[in-house]
Amino acid sequence: MNEQTAAARPSESETRLFFTAVWAIVWKDLRIERHTRQTISVMAMFSVVTVVMFNFALEANMDAARNVSTGLLWATILLAGTLGLNRSLAIERENQTMDAMLMAPIHRNAIYLGKVISITLFTLALEAILVLLFIIFFDKPLWRPMVLLVLVLGTIGYVAAGVIVTSMTIQSRSREVLLPVLLLPLSLPLVLPAATAVAMYMFPQPPTWGEVQSAVYIVIIYDLLMVTAGFLTYHFVVES
Amino acid sequence: MTSITSARLDKSIRIANWAAAIAIMVSLLVIFFYAPVERTMGNVQRIFYFHVGSAWVGAVALFVALISGMLYLRQNDRKWDTVSLASVEIGLVFLTMATVAGSVWGKPAWNTWWLWSPRLTLITIAWLTYAAYFMLRGAIEDEERRARFAAVYVIVAFVTIIMAYISVRILRDIHPVVIGSTLESAQGASEGLQEFSGLDSAKMGITLLISTSAFSLLYVAWLLNRIRLQQLADAVKNLKIQVTAHLQGEHAS
Repeated sequence: MNEQTAAARPSESETRLFFTAVWAIVWKDLRIERHTRQTISVMAMFSVVTVVMFNFALEANMDAARNVSTGLLWATILLAGTLGLNRSLAIERENQTMDAMLMAPIHRNAIYLGKVISITLFTLALEAILVLLFIIFFDKPLWRPMVLLVLVLGTIGYVAAGVIVTSMTIQSRSREVLLPVLLLPLSLPLVLPAATAVAMYMFPQPPTWGEVQSAVYIVIIYDLLMVTAGFLTYHFVVES
Repeated sequence: MTSITSARLDKSIRIANWAAAIAIMVSLLVIFFYAPVERTMGNVQRIFYFHVGSAWVGAVALFVALISGMLYLRQNDRKWDTVSLASVEIGLVFLTMATVAGSVWGKPAWNTWWLWSPRLTLITIAWLTYAAYFMLRGAIEDEERRARFAAVYVIVAFVTIIMAYISVRILRDIHPVVIGSTLESAQGASEGLQEFSGLDSAKMGITLLISTSAFSLLYVAWLLNRIRLQQLADAVKNLKIQVTAHLQGEHAS
């Protein structure tokens, strides 16, 4: 009905269309997850097993485990994250929904952003479980708001890189093996400062902003760079 | 295509090879006989010219790979994929050379071969990221897709180089900074760590300039040779296809 205004301001309606498409993709993924409960349950199972395994690796030495618990937390998130990425994008290929999305008259970057948001949400759900487990197992103050903020920021950058890389590896021969080999080195420049920042909050006395700001800034810079790289290259990855 | 398949080297490649060889010889002479002995480090400091030269070329090569990857995506021309692949290969070799030279320097300077300082860690990460580039190429059979994915990966992987550059200027590090300024907190002096005083004399600056130029020439020569090698490999592949088609045609008739 508002054709005239839509024509007069095409950019605004285009933006709205873009975000409608993004939201549709996120909503689709969330609904699939609600029905199947595959991605998060697999990630959560894997994480619990990994945490128990780390405990065995540290020979039930609780002090050692406590000291390295933030590193363990990030390692578990990264490993479980590759599972979630593989799962979420494999579903698209198996059901040929990726072809359908590519045929739809939406921008490729809407697909990218939609996948990044939905997989970030899955990973955050997993992190909620993990943080609870780590608080119980290792008795660390992971509930602090800054810790949660760094976890969220780190997850965004990791998933932004992960969606690009997984979209490529999933079209290759050795997809399950290739993904961690490509993605883990790529995400380490993000995880190192993020883990450092989280580790600083593990002391009884939380650090001042000045002490953690450089680490947090590096995480934010990585997020921006990776999302930009994803926006620039995603359509080359999915078109074939 | 016919000129590529000839066994003789192109004139430009021959010139580049000779220029690089002579430049490396000159830089060796300059490093060992012209450059002064550094005050605190002594003769060990001469490694610095190799280290900086190869680190510089490593960064340039990976930047060239990034640019040619972008050009490939834009123009869809196979030659840019070849340049990108050649540049990543050579960049990885130079990064390895820089790391080994740095390690040899680190033993007397820091009393250890390796430290997990931010810069060294990030270089290792960048090295791993670019090593994975070949795994990606090896896993994709379709040539056009392989080239496209490789170009995308080179663009994404360059983020690790940018991060390494940013991080060492923000984070506290033991590694001396030669080019560009750092925040005061990034210098190791406050921790009583080995402080490199920078270039003491003009002679050192000249030596560094010569060795860096020599390494850059070496890079250009290697790049030209590597591109030719790839073109020869492609030509062989085409010939094979032609022969197979020919034989099958004979068989059918």
